[in-house]
Amino acid sequence: MGAHKGRPDAIIMVTHLLRLSPTVAQAIAAHAEATYPDECVGLLFGSLDGELKTALSAYAVENRWAGQVSLAESDDPSSRRDRFYLDPRDYLRADREARASGLEIVGCYHSHPDAPATPSERDRVGAQAIGGTSFAFVIQSVRAGAAAELASWLLVDSGARFTEEELQLWP
Amino acid sequence: MAVTITIPTALRQFAGGSASVALDAEDVGALLRGLVEQHPSLGKQIFGDDGKLRSFVNIYVGDEDIRYLQGEATPVKDGETVSIIPAIAGGDL
Repeated sequence: MGAHKGRPDAIIMVTHLLRLSPTVAQAIAAHAEATYPDECVGLLFGSLDGELKTALSAYAVENRWAGQVSLAESDDPSSRRDRFYLDPRDYLRADREARASGLEIVGCYHSHPDAPATPSERDRVGAQAIGGTSFAFVIQSVRAGAAAELASWLLVDSGARFTEEELQLWP
Repeated sequence: MAVTITIPTALRQFAGGSASVALDAEDVGALLRGLVEQHPSLGKQIFGDDGKLRSFVNIYVGDEDIRYLQGEATPVKDGETVSIIPAIAGGDL
């Protein structure tokens, strides 16, 4: 990775961006509040233009966590307060609906009840099939039942870590 | 015999941006091998080091998960759609 000619000191930074319509942000917040104190989960429908993701609608999915996959030694198959599972059958149904309306699945969202909107180690393990910069991993924090901060992350370095991306309300 | 295989958004970066690929194959295993032959970087996204499907990657023939059919030996028919579908999980504690 050499520096650009003529700009030897320039630091090249690629900023990834998720544009989210305000109605999508409101739908995620409402879903997260409705399922509190359990975690909610859903998908984001929109468009993908190169690296730019635009989410135009939120598709709520039922949190079907019942210990289907192993995320940690402390997995409690009955606790949806600190676990979520987006069943592939729900993803398949959503994908068909998105394609039928000319949209793509550009990301997913879930809530962190009474916790910050930062991904956990369990999130990293469970996101291994959706790595890369073309799929947003959105987290809605909920505190005492009220939606708090919202953040979007990307799983990078072959699934080794999350990096936060810019989240912009648009239009 | 052409079978369509759909690629989920997150994996399209490893498939030259394609949303779906049509291939001739008689079973799911041959279909996946053909797909990886066309797009080699998809290989380690779909299969683990042991050569088995990665645990968060699911293959559906129509509406059925191949794990509940005949796995990679599940036959596919002309005109059928096979979907690569991610499972997503996580949690805070």
